Amino acid sequence: MSPGIGSWITLSSALFCIGLVGVMLRRNPIVILLSLEIMLNAGNLLLVAGSRYVGGNDGHVLALTVMGVAAAEVVVGLGLVVALARRGAPLDVDELRSLHG
Amino acid sequence: MNAADYGWLVLLTPLIGLAFNIAVGPSVSRRVVAWVASLSILAGFVLSLLAFIDLLSRDDSQRALVSTGWHWLSAGSFQVDASILVDPLSTVMLLVITGIGFLIHAYSVGYMHGDTEEKRFFAYLNLFVFSMLLLVLAGNFVFLLAGWGLVGLSSYLLIGFWWQRPSAVAAAKKAFVMNAIGDVGMTLGIFVIWNHLHTVDYTTAFALAPGSIGSGSSTANWIALLLLVGAVAKSAQLPLQTWLPDAMEGPTPVSALIHAATMVTAGVYLVARMWPFYSLAPDVADLVAIIGVATLTIAGLIALVQTDIKRVIAYSTMSQIGYMFCGVGIGAYSAGMFHLVTHAFFKALLFLGAGVVIHALHDEQDMRKMGGMGRYLPYTTGLMWIGALSLVGVPPFSGFFSKDQILSDALARGDWVGYTVWGLGLAGAFVTALYTFRLMLLVFHGEPSEYAREQSEAHAGHGEGPSTMLWTIGVLAVGATFAGFLEIPQVTHGMRNFLEPTIPSTIEATGNQDLGTSALAVSLALIGLFCAHVLWGRRSRTTRRIAEATAPLERVLQEKFGFDRLYDWAFYRPASALARGGARLWEQRAVVGSMDAVSNAGSWTSRLLSTAQSGLVRVYALAIAVGIAALAAWFMTGAS
Amino acid sequence: MQIVVFYVAGALAIGSALAVVVQRNPFLAALSLILHLASLAALYLVLQGDFVAVAQLLVYAGAVMIMFLFVIAYLGDRADLDLRRGGLGAGAAFIAGLAIFIESVIAVSDSNSSFHAPAVVADSFGSPATIGKLFLTDHLLAFEAISLVLLVGAIAGVVLGAGELLPSRSRAEPAEREPKGERYDLRREFLRREEEAEQESEVGT
Repeated sequence: MSPGIGSWITLSSALFCIGLVGVMLRRNPIVILLSLEIMLNAGNLLLVAGSRYVGGNDGHVLALTVMGVAAAEVVVGLGLVVALARRGAPLDVDELRSLHG
Repeated sequence: MNAADYGWLVLLTPLIGLAFNIAVGPSVSRRVVAWVASLSILAGFVLSLLAFIDLLSRDDSQRALVSTGWHWLSAGSFQVDASILVDPLSTVMLLVITGIGFLIHAYSVGYMHGDTEEKRFFAYLNLFVFSMLLLVLAGNFVFLLAGWGLVGLSSYLLIGFWWQRPSAVAAAKKAFVMNAIGDVGMTLGIFVIWNHLHTVDYTTAFALAPGSIGSGSSTANWIALLLLVGAVAKSAQLPLQTWLPDAMEGPTPVSALIHAATMVTAGVYLVARMWPFYSLAPDVADLVAIIGVATLTIAGLIALVQTDIKRVIAYSTMSQIGYMFCGVGIGAYSAGMFHLVTHAFFKALLFLGAGVVIHALHDEQDMRKMGGMGRYLPYTTGLMWIGALSLVGVPPFSGFFSKDQILSDALARGDWVGYTVWGLGLAGAFVTALYTFRLMLLVFHGEPSEYAREQSEAHAGHGEGPSTMLWTIGVLAVGATFAGFLEIPQVTHGMRNFLEPTIPSTIEATGNQDLGTSALAVSLALIGLFCAHVLWGRRSRTTRRIAEATAPLERVLQEKFGFDRLYDWAFYRPASALARGGARLWEQRAVVGSMDAVSNAGSWTSRLLSTAQSGLVRVYALAIAVGIAALAAWFMTGAS
Repeated sequence: MQIVVFYVAGALAIGSALAVVVQRNPFLAALSLILHLASLAALYLVLQGDFVAVAQLLVYAGAVMIMFLFVIAYLGDRADLDLRRGGLGAGAAFIAGLAIFIESVIAVSDSNSSFHAPAVVADSFGSPATIGKLFLTDHLLAFEAISLVLLVGAIAGVVLGAGELLPSRSRAEPAEREPKGERYDLRREFLRREEEAEQESEVGT
């Protein structure tokens, strides 16, 4: 007895949207990165669920790949945050707008 | 070479002078330019003489020569050739224009000597002569209009020659605008002619006119009336006469050539040339005569109170052209043209003589500062008396013959128009005598004013003026004396016979009418001389009492019957208010505003769009999310 | 049984995700994320993704989150400034997120999916051996690529974190620096070098 794929899709999209709202709303770059992690994991969940329901392990493979990429991305992101902190810039994405046109 | 060929050459001569002036002028001296300009007109005079002789050698029916140079414009059924018409009327005008023109060019060599812009002056003078020649030689209405406009342009350029003077510039603009009114009238008249006769060529139009346009019909009246508007504007008759006195801002030779001898007589030429139309519109022809009569009276009265010597002569010109208008209006075309010729002589003489006085007094034109110039300028004074007597109409000078010809022809015509012309013309002769002798007495006789005395004694021993000024007025005086003998009533009919084949005069006065009119006119002139002597010759108590009594009348005259003020209120103020309002509302708001709006719209749009570049990462993320939502919705609602 | 675990773990996952998003203190947010990752691992187990679940716990909850915690510790107070500003952006964000969720729900409910029951799979489904075999055969490119990405990530970490070890232009004396506001102009540089060359040749050998 397992829920249909629909439930998994619903759960996954719910988590994705929560992460998305977090990215859009928070001003602290670290928390934005955390929300980004939520989004990535929601995608991973969907991948694994899909491979279970369709058959075949390809979804697992892709999920692991995504995990690796997410790790690398977190490294870069946190490195940026540390560099910013070292220079004394305010850790607030609303203040970091030198790309303002 | 027949007369028409000479005609083309005559047309060319002032252009040669002008081309020389423009091309070589800057590198040669002013004197050379001046003489080349004058001699080119002399060449034109010689060629006109040759044309005249050629015409004389033909018999009467062969005297209208049309020569077509080339096909100028072809637009469907609107065909215009570059054609000239050489016939007795245009030959008379040619001789006057080139002859008097040459004399005035030569005079200007002396008068304008020392002026830094002398070359420009002669360029404009040559341009004017060319335009006037084009006007009289034109063989179709289009070229007539071209000459008409060019003459107006030359007049504007020459009146405003000393452009540093604001009054000169204003006068030039006034002349141009009023002439433009005339141009409009004339153009409309040509439109009507084209509409009915479908030709702009003179010979064709005149041949077709009697058949296609009924006598007294509204078409004929409109054509005659609209052409009359042009003539009235150019000849400074009522109601478009206000520009002529102001045109005296130009140099004296200009006043002599343009505003006495030639340009202002173009209106008379026009009526004479268009006689087929005027014979078909007798009411308008009567109107011509009435305008002439009104103008001659009013102008003569205004001349009585002018203090500027040139303005007196200008009003006199206006008055004399009124006589010419009477002449051509009542149908006495040869009488009108005869007066045109003699007037050209003695009026140019008067203007140029006044120029000698002005030159001697260092550009002083106010008669109250003159006086007693007779003892300093005897030669000029003598010649001016010839001119004055000719103007007044004292035999044996030319004005006597021509003016009285018009008056006796008016008497011969007999109806109310004729009698009005005769009566008011005689009264006008009295007034003419009054203002003319006033001029002579105030300027040349009596006690010299302080200023005159100083200036003349400073110049004593230098002669009366530059030599070219003196011999030219001598020649004019000879013409003023002897030109009258062309048309001694009942004895010689030079002018009438010459003009008859192409411009038939409808009236011929009898011997008794001639004699009677002349007797009356001469006696009125002599009474005028006496009155002038009384009023202005000696200052006595009577003169002062009369002056006080007529003071209100004098004020009316000094206001020039209020025409200037009327035109200012009726036309100038509304127009300038409209222009100012238009500039503020339309030009500022609409035109400039719309361009501002376009550029503002551009910058507003870019500012609007640049708010999207906020630099805020969150907003970008929001934009992406919204985009995803929208796209997903679009796909889900079944859009392809 | 599976459904129960699904619902419980699912609720836990959603709750902890909400906590991450809502939490003001980044430290607590990181802890909530760890809880979230753990619940996701439980869900992976429900899906028979054993290896993925373990990898999730080891890599994500272990390594990545530790990194986060280190950085949050390093930042200390500076990480704590988070004033929430409401307004139009917040509303739009909520609406956008909600819209996407609703759309996916609609999509799911509308489709006649044939996946009502999981597929029949072998016992080795989700085992490390199967996944390893896939990595080295079908998805070899992904395997190599991911190792490259991790290398790049490591280098990036070093560079970004230890920037002072590299020679930096900003250490130069102010006078040696290009004056502020002037861009590097190739033409001007060329002319300057020409001038210098001239001066040298003028000065002498």
